[in-house]
Amino acid sequence: MTLTQNQSKTLVRGVGGVILFVLIVWTLAPLYWMLVTSLKNNTEIYSPDSNFWPINPTLDNYRTLFNETNFLIYFRNSLIVAAVTTLLSLILSALGAYALTRLRFPGRKFFARALVYTYLMPSSLLFIPLLIIIRSVGLQNSLEGLVFAYLGFTVPFCTWLLMGYFMSIPIELEESAMIDGCSRLGVLFRIVLPLTVPALAVVAFFSFTLSWNEFIYASVLVADTDVRTIPTGIPNFIVEDVFFWGPMMASTLISSLPPLIVYFLFQRFLITGLTLGAVKG
Amino acid sequence: MTDATAPQPSRGPNQQPTLWEYISNDVRTLAFLFLLPTVLVLTCVVLYPFFYALLLSFQDKSPGVPARFIGLKNYIELLSDNEFQQIFYNTVWYTVVAVSIKFAIGLTSAMVLNQPRRFNNIYRTILFVPWAVPTVIASLIWLWVYNEFNGLLNLLLVDLGLLDYGVAWLAEPKLAMWSVIAVVVWNGTPFYTMHFLAGLQSIPKELYEAAEIDGAGELHKFWHITIPSMAPVFTITVMLSTVFTSTSIVVVNILTNGAPANLTQILPNESFSLTIEAGRMGLGSAINMMLFPFLVVFIILLTRRLLSKDGG
Repeated sequence: MTLTQNQSKTLVRGVGGVILFVLIVWTLAPLYWMLVTSLKNNTEIYSPDSNFWPINPTLDNYRTLFNETNFLIYFRNSLIVAAVTTLLSLILSALGAYALTRLRFPGRKFFARALVYTYLMPSSLLFIPLLIIIRSVGLQNSLEGLVFAYLGFTVPFCTWLLMGYFMSIPIELEESAMIDGCSRLGVLFRIVLPLTVPALAVVAFFSFTLSWNEFIYASVLVADTDVRTIPTGIPNFIVEDVFFWGPMMASTLISSLPPLIVYFLFQRFLITGLTLGAVKG
Repeated sequence: MTDATAPQPSRGPNQQPTLWEYISNDVRTLAFLFLLPTVLVLTCVVLYPFFYALLLSFQDKSPGVPARFIGLKNYIELLSDNEFQQIFYNTVWYTVVAVSIKFAIGLTSAMVLNQPRRFNNIYRTILFVPWAVPTVIASLIWLWVYNEFNGLLNLLLVDLGLLDYGVAWLAEPKLAMWSVIAVVVWNGTPFYTMHFLAGLQSIPKELYEAAEIDGAGELHKFWHITIPSMAPVFTITVMLSTVFTSTSIVVVNILTNGAPANLTQILPNESFSLTIEAGRMGLGSAINMMLFPFLVVFIILLTRRLLSKDGG
């Protein structure tokens, strides 16, 4: 049986619908399980009967999480580290990207290349020497040490993303501003940056989530509970308590909220931003 | 824009430029000042550590003990160790399988999302959600989904009658690596979907219309228009993802930490365990250095590609 073009189009769309449904279930099922577990009491969580929704929904797990664990400390530390890293990355990468795209100087191509190399340098390779270095300057067990280490991957990535944006701004705008007597710095702050606000939002999002998620450096550079961040703090609940899955799922839910909220608010920017930076053309 | 054509701010003929005016209009000085902080930071936390890691791999070094140069002994110890060979093989297998599955699901998702459909924005938002979920969080959620007695997966399979009793997904030798890869795929597929969707949307519609006039079917259009047009996107996405997948330890570390019997162990996590638990920093660095030549190939190819597109 051969299909006409219209029939095969309909068939492809129908199959697409089924696939889409499966993909959505696969994507949402673990998240649904997290939500449901966080709302169950321990009897329901550990009952041998399967129950796929809470029979007596309760917020006890959240109460346990806030009152009996260090979650709030971890959350606060993560916020501080991510916010400071983001701010510093924004400043460094905006200056760097402007220099690399708009200022002609010897070695410019070399710098652009070196930047990509550093971006691709895996943290699983660097954590051992970094541990020794951070210890030798006395920054171990401190949030400052973490921020410093995180700049190593946020700055190259952000600079690189911003370079893509800066190049998309017509240089004529800047030239005419300079003819009108605007200085280089004036051009950067009055013309280039205002035009790239969406790009700056994207860059901010990436450095925020990258530092919010970071695991290797956080587990090596920081040991004390009062300076732990979420990624190294909450896996420890497993060791601390037997019946931990309720509070654990409450903690994972709360911890995924900041990046998720930003994602929902900025998704249009983020997606174009990512593709513009990583895959041009 | 060159120095010669750079217009000067208007000022009186006899007025000397202040130092600030001089700096802010001298291209080289300005470039130097703008790049200085970045160069300083990256030297301290990337460049110097990299060469330090290389040096460490030739040393016997434990925390708090001075390093001792031992030449190639770390490398020799690794190469003659069967366990290391097993872990090396695991790493390659894990990377190739995870990247292939992410590629396949990512392309399927992108093509489905690219079909005209009502509420497509909502579906796209949903399919991208795992990308915004931190990997540590995703691993913890899945650890609970995989739970032998109360996890979602076993409850569902038993309820549907597909299993008589729960399976220990992460402890069963034949299943453990696949279970780990499933989490990597769940968390990492949106990265592919995103790039592929952008790639699909940039293919000119006229190509498809012309093919339809010539009587081409859906399959023909897929092989002769979609795939060739997407080739550059495929290459960059796969290379980037290979570098990130093969060096990320989070999923393995949280789900199994290499168990059972090192069957899910991968090189970066082995290096992490050796360094943190056994304090063998030299050996740990040597492990990473063994993976590095393979990464370098990807990194050089990627850099060339990314920069040629950027024109930097």
